[in-house]
Amino acid sequence: MLNAVLVFNNNGQPRLTKFYSQLDTATQQSLLSQIFTLVSARPASACNFLPLPPLLAPAGSSASPDAPTQITYRHYATLYFILISTSTESPLALLDFIQVFVEALDRLFENVCELDLIFGFETLHAVLSEMVVGGVVVETNLEKIVDGVKTTEGAKVKRRAVNARDSGSSIGRGTGFAGLGWATGTGSSWR
Amino acid sequence: MFEKSLVDLIRGLRGHKGNESEYIQSALKECRNEIRSQDLDVKATALLKLIYLEMFGYDMTWAAFNVLEVMASPKIMQKRVGYLAAVQTFRPDTEVLMLAENLLKKDLTSPSIPILTLPIVTLPHIVTSSLALSILSDLLPRLSHSQPAVRKKTIVALYRLALVYPETLRVAWPKIKERLLDEDEDSSVTAATVNVVCELGWRRPQDFLPLAPRLFDLLLAQKNNWMGIKIIKLFAVLTPLEPRLVKKLVRPLTKLIQETTAMSLLYECISGIIQGGILDMADSGVDVEEVADLCISKLRGMIVLDGDPNLKYVALLAFNKIVGSHPALVSMQQDVIMTCLDDPDISIKMQALELVSGMVNSDSLPGVVDRLIKQLASSPSAVDDAANGHPEEGQTDMEQRLIPDKRGSENTPLSEEYRQEILTRILDMGSHNTYVNITDFEWYIEILVHLVRHLPPDKETTSGMLADTTSSLGARVGAQLVDIAVRVKELRPDTTRAAETLVLLSNRVISYPRHGSGQNEVLRSAAWICGEFAGYLSNPYEVVNSLIHESSTDFGPATLAIFVQAIPKIISQIAVTANREWNISRGATMSLLLARTTEFLEGLSSHPNLDVQERSVEFLELLRLSSEALSAQSNDNTQAPLLLTSAIPTLFSGMDLNPVAAAAQKKVPLPNDLDLDDPINPDLPSILQASQEADEGDSADDVFQSFYHDREPVQVISSLQPHSGSAIVDHPSEAEPTSYQSAPESPATVAQRKAERAARNKDDPFYIAPLDDSSPHQLHDIIRKSNGDEELDVDSIPIIDLQIDHTQTTATHHGEDYPGRSTRKKKPVRKFVVAADETLDPDADASLATQPLSKSASHSHSTSLSTTPAVHRPRSLSPHVGPGLSGKAPVRPTRNLLTVDSSTLEKLSLEGPPESESEILRREAEEAEMAIALREVERKRLEMQREAERQRTVLGEGVDADGTVVRRKKKKKKKQMPREVEGEPDNQLGLEEGVVAVKKKKKKKVVKIRSEQADVDKAAEGADGAVGAEQD
Repeated sequence: MLNAVLVFNNNGQPRLTKFYSQLDTATQQSLLSQIFTLVSARPASACNFLPLPPLLAPAGSSASPDAPTQITYRHYATLYFILISTSTESPLALLDFIQVFVEALDRLFENVCELDLIFGFETLHAVLSEMVVGGVVVETNLEKIVDGVKTTEGAKVKRRAVNARDSGSSIGRGTGFAGLGWATGTGSSWR
Repeated sequence: MFEKSLVDLIRGLRGHKGNESEYIQSALKECRNEIRSQDLDVKATALLKLIYLEMFGYDMTWAAFNVLEVMASPKIMQKRVGYLAAVQTFRPDTEVLMLAENLLKKDLTSPSIPILTLPIVTLPHIVTSSLALSILSDLLPRLSHSQPAVRKKTIVALYRLALVYPETLRVAWPKIKERLLDEDEDSSVTAATVNVVCELGWRRPQDFLPLAPRLFDLLLAQKNNWMGIKIIKLFAVLTPLEPRLVKKLVRPLTKLIQETTAMSLLYECISGIIQGGILDMADSGVDVEEVADLCISKLRGMIVLDGDPNLKYVALLAFNKIVGSHPALVSMQQDVIMTCLDDPDISIKMQALELVSGMVNSDSLPGVVDRLIKQLASSPSAVDDAANGHPEEGQTDMEQRLIPDKRGSENTPLSEEYRQEILTRILDMGSHNTYVNITDFEWYIEILVHLVRHLPPDKETTSGMLADTTSSLGARVGAQLVDIAVRVKELRPDTTRAAETLVLLSNRVISYPRHGSGQNEVLRSAAWICGEFAGYLSNPYEVVNSLIHESSTDFGPATLAIFVQAIPKIISQIAVTANREWNISRGATMSLLLARTTEFLEGLSSHPNLDVQERSVEFLELLRLSSEALSAQSNDNTQAPLLLTSAIPTLFSGMDLNPVAAAAQKKVPLPNDLDLDDPINPDLPSILQASQEADEGDSADDVFQSFYHDREPVQVISSLQPHSGSAIVDHPSEAEPTSYQSAPESPATVAQRKAERAARNKDDPFYIAPLDDSSPHQLHDIIRKSNGDEELDVDSIPIIDLQIDHTQTTATHHGEDYPGRSTRKKKPVRKFVVAADETLDPDADASLATQPLSKSASHSHSTSLSTTPAVHRPRSLSPHVGPGLSGKAPVRPTRNLLTVDSSTLEKLSLEGPPESESEILRREAEEAEMAIALREVERKRLEMQREAERQRTVLGEGVDADGTVVRRKKKKKKKQMPREVEGEPDNQLGLEEGVVAVKKKKKKKVVKIRSEQADVDKAAEGADGAVGAEQD
């Protein structure tokens, strides 16, 4: 199962943190920064699997399948998407999962960029909860995810995104946020 | 009113770059006010802002009650914020959770789907076992909701409920299964169900075997690759239980492997074949080789052809899973794996390294190690490049990031962790199974010396401290050098010369890494080798000069102590060599050397470390004597002083050193008549009393004087050394130490006391009388026969000769002859003999050595009493309440961060045959009733758990099951006691204890001597306790 879904930008600022087991805020933050340290040191051509950060290092010799052992990430433009999962998840499928997640966001925000995710904070959570419940993947079909979010959000999503971009440019920021775009490097899907 | 919206907050944050924390603090203050507002809109907005700030690490647990308020809002958008806050911040110990129960129940029955899904997706994050119990009846009906979106989420939520409250499965499982078996079910629901089943699958595979046909159909239908992957993963768990599945699976899996375009599915097929153990099932009628070839070639293709780092990584991952069982298959792909070692990607490198060390054999070892060494040599350490003053880890990370990425070039600095990993792996590969893979030891010694140069810098905190020295890489290199020197006799000259190069001052600059760390640990071992095997040194003068160089005093005390010990050894060696052609010039050189050494030792004689101080003072005196003897000699003497050439060398020569197994000491049996409960001096209480009474009197002093001081010094050290029988004969004077057991008494009193004790213990069931009358004297007789020394008091030899006590222990150990030192397990590896560890019982040794590893899991290894009962005890304490609940009692392994523990599911037994519809209905009707019963059971269980814990604390750690048995008997007896006539309490007691003693005796045959002894001691303690309690 998935133990956590994290999104942060190139500076390590969190954009989404979702932990599927309870963890206190301070530990969440240190885990976040440890993973950021690991992931930011990797060149674009490296593979998308991270070694475990010190916080997640196995406590004993017991290799319980419950323990999180895989960290999968993808880097889109300014954002890192991180999945922490147990060994029962397929590594390549997880990469596809991130891809679907981002595609769903792109559908909802139309040419999604980091700013959309900042201002579309709630929608971001809504998309994720359509895809994962309690750490178990419940939906990977793009159409169904988007429909599911739209039934709860209504037309609000698009409007907010537009607002956000307007306001972003009005204060002289937000330019230079290209759409997340696909596929740094590989581009191919494993599905 | 000018409260900010979330968008305002974010804009504000962006507008306050630099002093964000200040801005956030003020925003938090605003939120605190706003959240108390009566206006729900304001409240919800404030909450949303708090959630946003929480993401950056600003705690908001204080707002838990406000979260509830917002959750209860009638407006969906506000409700959503409330639920989101609950997901992000509620913990199991959040107190308001109890108040949320009714709200959750209400929302679960809402007709609006957006509202209905909110509690469903929130429950997994906040659920506790009591919440699960009460919410279950409301959640369960949602499984048959008309909307598939609700159904799929409910299934997953039920899974998470089951993790904290396993009984959930009992009612939910039939329905979940129904969803899975329903062919008309929405595909998303089926997929979600498969996901849940897969999560449950590895915990309790036996329950999912009946589902295999349906899963098989789903796999063949191939509608959804995501689902396919999960099904294959599940089958990998099922095949070991049901070998017939293999036959059915192989064809579709190979077909998928050959045809699918989806790499993830392809990979999972291969991984499923590997993990399902299909490759091991040669007798299942499947052409295993063909399948293996297909898998391996596909994996090879993933590494070679695609050039995709992710595929490379997962292929190595898959190889790593096979390598344990099929090293030969993997080593055929050695070429590609070796190229992965040079991959610029650290994740791939690490995987390849792990793989390589798993598949290495005696043929490939040199190639692999050479390649790794080349990597170490060709890419400079990140620290070497950095300024020398900053060896901290964090610093190197920072350096690395700043260095532009020179991909593909040879000089990419390797990360410090990777360098350490390489070193560790080389050392592991080399020493694996006492050097079984090494055919060329000269080469390996060279490698070890070479490795010293690449040692990583010490971490600031551990350098020079005693802690962590055993695990540091420098210490490991040193220890292996020592180990080879001791084990491989033929190579002692080579090893000694290797150690010499490491010790020589002139070599240190090139032999050691530039940051200079690791010297301490390596030099310690190298100096020891140089001293111990000084005869092989090519230039002993230089070695001594290096050791007594003034820079040596900078080393740690442990290293210095070894230096001090090595110096006289080498000097005496020099003297012996020089003695062959003694002349004036040699005498002059010798006295010069002695003078310089004494000077060095004088400096150390006030060293703060006591060990160093003691050794240097001792040898200082010895060397002063020697130089006096030397200067007293007339110039024309043709002989060196005897003190130098024969007296000092005998200090260090004598028995050859042999490797001793780590557990050997434990197996030295206790002397039969060692009774720890027997007072050393039976008169002690009266003496103490007397001394108390006559405190000021002189007579008390005398008693103390005679008791504590009038005794010969005990030569424990000499008898601790593993003498062989002949050694005792050769040095009868050494073997005659007085001991605490026998010191002041004559043999007559000893015998008398023994007889008294025997009489006293005759009726004591905890006293194990000698089985064979002769056995206590056996040892004595043998020694007497062999050295004819009537006076020898055998009881006073604390540790007994290895060979003799083997004859004593054969009854309990496996009856195999002890083959004498190092002849057993002799491994003729080309020309070298690697000596095996010396131990008492080589067969039992293996089990003892592996004991720490198997401690956690093994029931079968009943080598030690302290482990097995620990596993059994919880079960014996909790009578079977219900099949599902007893599973919680065993100690859970330490929980990793983020881990969602599913071990509770393991013990729950689901029904075997599928239940009928009516039964399910009946169950539902009984649900409420059952809930009450379950609550009762839960309470009982908790009580019992508490009781168990209390007992554990009373008894203390490591008390075995028998301790508890005795305790429980005591309890029972307590109840009986009032009813019993107090006429013959002694008899009653004897009977009770007799039962226990019989138990002991039965056990004795199985367990090892050592633990048996402990066992008896404990039982005696326990019985004492029981008796004490009863007499009260």
